[in-house]
Amino acid sequence: MQRLFNIIRDFKEYVVLALLIVASLLLLSLNDNTQVRAIRSYTVALVGVLQDAVSVLPNFFALQRENELLRQLNVNLSDEVSRLREARLENIRLRELLGLKERLPFRLVPADVVGKSLHLQRNTITINAGSADGISPDMPIICETGLVGRIVATSSRYSIGRLVLNVDSRASAKVQRSRIVGILAWEGGELLQLRNVSRMDDVVPGDLVITSGYGSMFPPNIKIGIVALAEDEKGGLFKRVLIKPSVDFTALEQVFVIAATVDSERVALEETYSKRK
Amino acid sequence: MTRVFKYIFVTLLVIVVQTTMVQFLALQGITPDLIVIWIVYLTLCEGQLAGSIWGFGIGLFIDLVSSSFLGLSALTKTICGFVAGYFYNENKTQMILSTYRFLVVVLVAAFVHNTIYFVVFTRGTDVSVLRAVAQFGLTSTLYTATMGLLPLFGFARKQMLSR
Repeated sequence: MQRLFNIIRDFKEYVVLALLIVASLLLLSLNDNTQVRAIRSYTVALVGVLQDAVSVLPNFFALQRENELLRQLNVNLSDEVSRLREARLENIRLRELLGLKERLPFRLVPADVVGKSLHLQRNTITINAGSADGISPDMPIICETGLVGRIVATSSRYSIGRLVLNVDSRASAKVQRSRIVGILAWEGGELLQLRNVSRMDDVVPGDLVITSGYGSMFPPNIKIGIVALAEDEKGGLFKRVLIKPSVDFTALEQVFVIAATVDSERVALEETYSKRK
Repeated sequence: MTRVFKYIFVTLLVIVVQTTMVQFLALQGITPDLIVIWIVYLTLCEGQLAGSIWGFGIGLFIDLVSSSFLGLSALTKTICGFVAGYFYNENKTQMILSTYRFLVVVLVAAFVHNTIYFVVFTRGTDVSVLRAVAQFGLTSTLYTATMGLLPLFGFARKQMLSR
């Protein structure tokens, strides 16, 4: 501050001159006559020329602010793109699910997968639909690409489903092309097994495997997967048939539970016949 | 303080003379500016800072009295006092006042004063800047400097008598 006072004292003549000129110009600006209007127009023109000249130079602070705004806008747009992409994928999934729902003659209960395990021997999923939605144990779980598993436990709002990728899981399946029937099982890994397929049976890689409908649990014609390997077992009577599941379990997010109860009459008849044998 | 009152008194007197009697000395509409001569004198006696302030005060007074172009005389006479202040020398005041240097100071200060005054005053009219400077500024400057001879003779005579 002292330094400022010293500077002002050293240049007091100029400081006073500047102040007096400013005061005079302020007084001049109070006039509204031809001269002042002309001077105002010159001043505006001069300021315009100066601004034009100065505008060539980048304004650091304005650029910095603009940069910040653009970065913020970029973040917002990226976020929006991400959400739109997600919505698009969801839209595609929902359309496929809707197509599935129209194809199947059963009541389907939609549900979101809220939990899942895929790296255990007994893999399950948890879904956000339960007994309050009409779900009960043993109901099949499917998605737009095929068979997922079946319900093993329910609460009022949640259910646990046993995946086909579970060592306890079994299902009756058949090869769509040759109508060869086998038992679907899993022993670990990414592929399912089709057991009890005779060496004589016509099964080749690329065949589509679907549910047979012979068991009481799953309705027929639900896609299971594609035969990835079909070879004769060494010294055995059966073929070793491996199936690549049509369902991508890692990306599984939405499922349908087929709200079809087991045909108790059929089950009772089959059990009675089995006991007689 | 007495000196200030004396300056104020003379200022009022010069303004009265300038506004009432100088018009009789007009040549082709050009008149000398006695107030400029007075401001130059004040500045050479009191210094640049005082000259600027006196110039502003006198100019503002003229603007208020004439009520024609508020601020223009204040601006030009402030600059006039400031320019004359460059010739201020505390130890050589009498010498400057009583020699041709006084005329030089009046000439320079009046030229700057008149140039600014007429350039601003003729804006918005069909009078060009060059004509404003040459026809009004320069001739009025020469006339004012000529009138500066009168006080110069007075100062020189006073200087001679004091020896």
